[in-house]
Amino acid sequence: MNVTQWKNKMTDLSRRDFLKLIRNGFLYLSGVLVTGGLLRFLSYESEPKRKTEFDIGSADNYPLGSRTSIPEIPALLIHTESGYTALSLTCTHLGCTLEPNETGFACPCHNSSFDEAGNVIHGPAVKPLQVLRIEITDDGNIKVFTA
Amino acid sequence: MRPSFFHHLHPPTIPTAQARWRHTLAAGGTAIFLMLILGVTGILEMFYYIPNPEEAALSVQTITYLVPFGGFIRNLHYWSAQLLLIVSAIHLLRVVFTAAYSHPRRFNYLLGLTLFVIVILLDFTGYILRWDVDICYPLLTGTNLLKTIPLIGDALHRIAIGGGDACTSGLLRMYVWHIFGLTLPVIILGVWHAFRVRRDGGIAVPPPQVRTDNARISRNELVRREVLAMFVIGIALILLSSFAPAPIAPAMPTTPAAIGAAASQSARAPWFFLWVQQMLKWGDPFIFGIVIPIGILVLVALIPYIFPKPADSDIGTWFPKSNRFAQITIGLVSFIVILLTLLANAK
Repeated sequence: MNVTQWKNKMTDLSRRDFLKLIRNGFLYLSGVLVTGGLLRFLSYESEPKRKTEFDIGSADNYPLGSRTSIPEIPALLIHTESGYTALSLTCTHLGCTLEPNETGFACPCHNSSFDEAGNVIHGPAVKPLQVLRIEITDDGNIKVFTA
Repeated sequence: MRPSFFHHLHPPTIPTAQARWRHTLAAGGTAIFLMLILGVTGILEMFYYIPNPEEAALSVQTITYLVPFGGFIRNLHYWSAQLLLIVSAIHLLRVVFTAAYSHPRRFNYLLGLTLFVIVILLDFTGYILRWDVDICYPLLTGTNLLKTIPLIGDALHRIAIGGGDACTSGLLRMYVWHIFGLTLPVIILGVWHAFRVRRDGGIAVPPPQVRTDNARISRNELVRREVLAMFVIGIALILLSSFAPAPIAPAMPTTPAAIGAAASQSARAPWFFLWVQQMLKWGDPFIFGIVIPIGILVLVALIPYIFPKPADSDIGTWFPKSNRFAQITIGLVSFIVILLTLLANAK
């Protein structure tokens, strides 16, 4: 499109239509701004953040060979010769808490199941259970981190 | 007879065909009636309900067991809400099976479908307000589903429940969405929907030039029929509410450790979402919990736009030849949803 064609287009638009266009443009723009503002207003994180750090008491409470369920995380603390491991009991599919069964763990929500090491036996879950980071504090307590 | 206010809400006369029970199934009118009952009983419940995680379930118990007629009011609210879902679904099926969505009613079809979606969300948030051990996993999985949406998922999760942990927080948001954030749109869109029915020429029948049945009824007769429908539904509600109590479960514990133990006993979605829960057992939550349900909704919304326009003389008749595709589509969708619900129930 060359300049003269543009010029013709411009003169086709009457003053009335031009003002109407401007008015509608402003109306739509303000609608978008108000909606955006409303969504931002509503998306503030008002509830306390999920706890990510758990002090589960003295390491002596978890003797060698023990497998202890810590429901508040939820996780399973396993103490073997190679040390402590914390296996998350949150289903990797949609976040329900797993329940122990004969072969490992099962999800009550959508029937995923995992073996004792946290590998998927059958879906819908795809990812294996998360192994949580552990720290032993100076006073001998175990700390588990979920993030 | 001098017309009363209620008579004045109606046109002086309407074609008889628009008011036949076997044509309308009285579904739309019944939906309005149920919404009125829901509004009144809901406001009554607000006098006692406390939207705070520690006290919510106890306040529901107070309403149910201590307040005079409280259990009855709660049952009425519960049963009206369940019936509203069923009646809305019947209304949608009627509209598609009688080709009533056809131009110029396409826009009103979309308004109605939006209302249906909001009513489902109202049923879900209302169920969550019980805040007892039954609601933890449905709330957790429902809100975690939002998080699976790329880019906007986390923001949607915060908009829905304010972030945090689903079973210990989020109640205040669910409460405000239920009594205000979803109810206000239902009132506005509902009035608009009813206005558009009248603006588009009343309940769908063939246009005057191809109409074979030119009988009309007066508004007195119309109001008489409406009152009869309200009477029948009212009796059914009173019977249901007297003999079938709304579900209630022990209060949700307040510590995460105790919630885990209590919640595991009921991992069932509310009945109207069982079909989604069943699909979620098949795999990726974003695909089966978000993409497919929204895809189904979009397909249903597109019915008036993608299929051939039904013949004028077919509008308002049951299962006309000219809208077979639409009938098959909505029939298949209903069949799949019912089948999935039954499958979820079987296990």
